[in-house]
Amino acid sequence: MTRPPRPLDGIRVANFGWVWAGPMVGQTLAFLGAEVYKIESQARVDTARTIPPFAEGLRGIDRSLSQHAGWAGNGSITLNLKDPRAVELARQFISQCDVVVENFGIGVMEKLGLSYEELVEHRSDLVMFSMPTAGRVGPLSRLRTYGVSLTSITGLDSVTGYVGGPPIPMENAFSDPYNGILGAFAILTALAYRDRTGTGQHIDYSQQEAVMQMVGPAFMDYAMNGRVGGPLGNRHPLGVAAPHGVFPCAGDDRWVTIAVFDDDEWEGLRSAMGDPDWAAAPSFATHQLRVENIADLHEHLAAWTAAFDDHQLAELLQTKGVAAAPVNSVAGLLSDPHFRARGTFVEVHHPLGFGETIYGAYVKTSVSEASVPPGPCIGQDNERVFLDLLGLPEGTYRQFVEEKVIY
Amino acid sequence: MNTAVTRRGAATGGALEGMRVIELGQMVSAPYCAKLFSDYGADVLKVEPLGGDTARRWGPFPGDRPDPEASGLFQFLNTNKRGVTLDVTVEEGRELFLRLVSEADVLIENNPPAWVREHKLDYGVLGAANPNLVMVSITPFGQTGPYSGWKGCDLNAFHLSAAGHRYCGKPGEAPLEHGTFSADFYGAVTAASWGLAATLGRNRVGGGQQIDVSCAEAIGATFVGGQNIGGYAQDGIFDRRTGVGMGQSAPASILPCKDGHVWMLMLEPNQWDGFVTAMGSPDWATPEMFRDRSFRGENKDLIYALVGEWTAQYGKIEIMEVCQDAGAPVTAVLTVAEAAEHPHLIERGYVVEVEHPTLGKIATLGAPFVLPASPGGPVTAAPLLGQHNDEVFGKELGITDTEREQLRDRGVI
Repeated sequence: MTRPPRPLDGIRVANFGWVWAGPMVGQTLAFLGAEVYKIESQARVDTARTIPPFAEGLRGIDRSLSQHAGWAGNGSITLNLKDPRAVELARQFISQCDVVVENFGIGVMEKLGLSYEELVEHRSDLVMFSMPTAGRVGPLSRLRTYGVSLTSITGLDSVTGYVGGPPIPMENAFSDPYNGILGAFAILTALAYRDRTGTGQHIDYSQQEAVMQMVGPAFMDYAMNGRVGGPLGNRHPLGVAAPHGVFPCAGDDRWVTIAVFDDDEWEGLRSAMGDPDWAAAPSFATHQLRVENIADLHEHLAAWTAAFDDHQLAELLQTKGVAAAPVNSVAGLLSDPHFRARGTFVEVHHPLGFGETIYGAYVKTSVSEASVPPGPCIGQDNERVFLDLLGLPEGTYRQFVEEKVIY
Repeated sequence: MNTAVTRRGAATGGALEGMRVIELGQMVSAPYCAKLFSDYGADVLKVEPLGGDTARRWGPFPGDRPDPEASGLFQFLNTNKRGVTLDVTVEEGRELFLRLVSEADVLIENNPPAWVREHKLDYGVLGAANPNLVMVSITPFGQTGPYSGWKGCDLNAFHLSAAGHRYCGKPGEAPLEHGTFSADFYGAVTAASWGLAATLGRNRVGGGQQIDVSCAEAIGATFVGGQNIGGYAQDGIFDRRTGVGMGQSAPASILPCKDGHVWMLMLEPNQWDGFVTAMGSPDWATPEMFRDRSFRGENKDLIYALVGEWTAQYGKIEIMEVCQDAGAPVTAVLTVAEAAEHPHLIERGYVVEVEHPTLGKIATLGAPFVLPASPGGPVTAAPLLGQHNDEVFGKELGITDTEREQLRDRGVI
């Protein structure tokens, strides 16, 4: 099969990553052309494969819709790593790979006999990527978290919530796809180094440190001024814009975002509102005053926005030079004309015979078009890898399958 | 296993050494993306308008005294870069910019697409001048589509992605952003990843290309869409934020404690067992039925009330330690200061210092990941406004002192 060339053609990745962050690392590299195989096992099915909803409502490890979206691009081979023969096959496979990805807890790869030190014996210029919660060394290196709670140890949760209120949780693991995508960058830097020097390395990717970069601005305020802030609501993180928030619109749970950074934009907003008396009050006379009186300003503005359709109001404000956009919901994402025009979501045909909607290339590349396959069936690439790539004799392969080594 | 973290910052030997990057960016997204290149060894030249990057005016400032050379945001986002000032909106400036770009591997920018086209700086023009150029464009909405002409900032992009509506805030109240520029950061790491791949793969695809990142789309697809869109398209499943971490179990959210908050997430029976032990095995918690997470989820009001009585007695670090020791995934909700000062990050050397010409030593966060063979992280402070004008325009482009003075007088550099 011929396909247009892609930037990472020829790079092969063994991906032990599981659930979400690790598979996202593989997906990012795969969308860009790398040949990525998730190494998993029916002996301990990855949790992500068991998350509903399922295609056509039928429960099954090859039918989780969210897993398909998050894993698309990864291939899949199965190895029951409790069996030493499977570990040996993994080593053989890795000797044919440029990159190993894993997001197990600390020490798991070592226990399996797949530590970096062992693997470089099989592939001297290997790039290995480990992404434990808080890095490979240090007092918290064995800390247990989930992706959804990881943000608690970065400071990010402490600034998320309504102004003056307690921290409010982000109800899913923002960190997982973030670390998946940034993890791919980490691997690419190491591949660049390998291409220049011939030397591989074992990347210590602390998810805590990677995510904590997002609160860099707040950290600088602490470092410079000793100041420690709490939840900011939707206000500008550095308090330089007013209004800057989410305002109600007509309908059920509909909202619009509005941000005003200077006098011109404020005049645009006033004009859109028909220059109401309240906006002419002395307390809103300058940008600085509007920032100081932002709570009051937001209250007035919310009373005005509430009558409008979210999309229509955003368009109106945009014609006045004001940064505004509708707040999408899950339903809105699929119908949003912008995302439709950009092909953000695509319907793909799964080899098991059903159609499913996943996201497509979430970045647009002008030359090398990413192709997005459906999520992998467990073990779909076993023959390709064990027979074609590793050259296992057919009989041995069948035996390993029967004896649940390749399983 | 390593006994120490090989940490950071070396003037040479970074992974991306030899790569030439031009940044025509302001505020957060493009500067952070370019910082990922500069902190790992690429030569990043930041091209600022004569008045400087807007982030220079955003603070935070030491002692809250505005100073374009002292903005904490600017300092954080622009380490290891060189900086020049150049008005690319006038023809002479644009020509100089094209000369810089013709020598570069990568251009990273976050300007409004219409502005870029208006000033003939779009990929059509720049790619013709340098067919090997990878142009990385990061904007709230993207280069194409009906909103591509819209004005927007982090907040607009974040909420267009549905991340807040689906996952953050109380029902009936406004959806929430994270309290930082999380859409800008998300777009930046996405752009870094795709942009670096495109750069390393130029020989495979026949040269440079444009990488079009929409911050809203990156989050809307990978974070929100991936987890929700299949179920919505097939079954009309339309979930929204609840204000609670996870509804399917309890405790599975942020709870108050004596001195702040803790994030508790018990899913597996053994985690619950550990948690019960950590609490001192109170009678209410020991019945077998509580080991079932769904049962606890169905009775979450009761669970939260009883667990809350326990957490109210202890501090967050204390709770984290006793629970972690017992095998329960409980973590303290650390403030930014507590995270930075935590012995773990101290030992790992995550906070680093760079020497600034006027501010002296300033603390900043170290590189986001550790490459043992090729050190990364901030070594030099963000450039002063126009700090490298002479070096770049004089030494590298060979413009004489007199010509440079004239360019300065005409307001080009």
